[in-house]
Amino acid sequence: MELPVLNETPASKGGCSAGSCGSTDDQMNHLSEEIRAKVQNHPCYSEDAHHYFARMHVAVAPACNIQCHYCNRKYDCANESRPGVVSELLTPDQAVKKTMAVAANIPQMTVLGIAGPGDPLANPERTFDTFRRLSEDAPDIKLCVSTNGLALPDSVEELSKHNIDHVTITINCVDPEIGAKIYPWIFWENRRIKGKKGAKILIEQQQKGLEMLVAKGILVKVNSVMIPGVNDKHLAEVSKIVKAKGAFLHNVMPLIAEAEHGTFYGVMGQRGPNAAELQDLQDECSGDMNMMRHCRQCRADAVGLLGEDRGDEFTLDKIETMEIDYQAAMEKRKVIHQAIEAEMNSKREVKAEKAEQFAQEDKMTTRPVLMAVATSGQGVINVHFGHAKEFLIYEASPDGVRFISHRKADQYCGGDTTCGDGETVLQRTIHSLEGCEAVLCSKVGYEPWEMLEQAGIMPNGEHAMEPIEDAVMAVYKEMAQSGKLDEAEQAERAVA
Amino acid sequence: MALKIIESCVNCFACEPLCPSKAIYEAKPHFLIDPKKCTECEGDFSVPQCASICPIEGAILDMFGEALNPPGSLTGIPPEKMAEAMAELQAH
Repeated sequence: MELPVLNETPASKGGCSAGSCGSTDDQMNHLSEEIRAKVQNHPCYSEDAHHYFARMHVAVAPACNIQCHYCNRKYDCANESRPGVVSELLTPDQAVKKTMAVAANIPQMTVLGIAGPGDPLANPERTFDTFRRLSEDAPDIKLCVSTNGLALPDSVEELSKHNIDHVTITINCVDPEIGAKIYPWIFWENRRIKGKKGAKILIEQQQKGLEMLVAKGILVKVNSVMIPGVNDKHLAEVSKIVKAKGAFLHNVMPLIAEAEHGTFYGVMGQRGPNAAELQDLQDECSGDMNMMRHCRQCRADAVGLLGEDRGDEFTLDKIETMEIDYQAAMEKRKVIHQAIEAEMNSKREVKAEKAEQFAQEDKMTTRPVLMAVATSGQGVINVHFGHAKEFLIYEASPDGVRFISHRKADQYCGGDTTCGDGETVLQRTIHSLEGCEAVLCSKVGYEPWEMLEQAGIMPNGEHAMEPIEDAVMAVYKEMAQSGKLDEAEQAERAVA
Repeated sequence: MALKIIESCVNCFACEPLCPSKAIYEAKPHFLIDPKKCTECEGDFSVPQCASICPIEGAILDMFGEALNPPGSLTGIPPEKMAEAMAELQAH
């Protein structure tokens, strides 16, 4: 069996014309050795690493110096998972203790980020105190920070002192007209500045900060929130500009807006993009820029692998009682990290070999297909359909297999089995797989099996514990052999 | 002459370091302003600093009990629209 994870070749549709799309391991092959070494165990920067390594955020930074229309500073809901939301604010002391407790108990945790719930650089004392102490006491943890960029130029010098080699800037626009529709105000030089004038200052600070970080050799990822009708047509230009200035990865995320969040966009009925719109924009940007597609838009206090949150195991009262021998933990972590890296390297080699074989096979002429995969990590299919909290979406085509995105299995509040619209959890999950033609998991029960078939999604439990890309390609070839991918059928589907 | 922080404060710390009179202090359940120290920033800044960074409409009042940031002034959400959305949510 074959299988190139393709990110060198153009996407079948959209504007992925030059080079790498998708932040996959193959994309990483195009980066310099130095950058690759920096991101290969960083789950938020490397798609490959996110199957193996975990991250955590400590919520030490409550203050913010701007307002965004997708954020509501009042909210703190344990059931909500989105940026800006936390359950417990920590002091730097508590944050250091929590980080070391998590590092000792979840050895695959390699990255500590400060992401809020406000703006980390609007809380310089709390943020830098935490970084300073962690870089001394826990030198095996990578430190990173995300910011809206307003205070960034003033912080670059300090950031470079603390062993922070990854910074994420959220840049939603480079045009103040558009900025005024996203940012109602900023706090700048002792005043609240509203509208276009405020947005212009923010944009200038972001761009200046980006240039300064790049000049210091600090890796920069740019996050953008895709807001249909506001900046969706503008983000391809943003992507070009930030790439030209030296950002190495662009993460376009969908707007999250619900009335119950109490945000401007939520209350005013601004919609977020659907999966197809998001993918089209990511593909469009990918012609110019390395794109990240595996972001889970996690909370500012999330703990664990991307897509999971083990924050409940490390609440303040629980970490108070934990005795941590960090020296011992560090030894153990080192052994585990080396084993994971060895496993990743050998898998990467196998993939490269398979890619070569695949390139020599007769090229198929079939149409591309989206498939959903249930996995809890390690790059294999290992989750029961009914237990999946999320699905990873892959596209199979004659060019190979590429990672597209993730979709949440249960998109609303937990607990109740039915929601306002009368859909069951199962119906909602199946609905979330719209556009996919197969779902690969370790097992599928009778009831979902029938419902999936009725929805035109082929359930498949035959590839349990197999590497994801191999399984997706195997199913794609079966579909091709059984005539499901013929052009004639495609035309029929289009008519229907 | 003094400003006042009320219970809608979310304890975000943003105002505390900005106060030129060190009148703002952390307290439970929310931050407070020492009325003996507060000058409303007169002589230091043209606008009160706490009210210029506070993200919560209605959380800071002047000596007459008027909100320095009235409903809709910071989020841009018209108050009637907010009321409508909240009423709809409660109906569910």
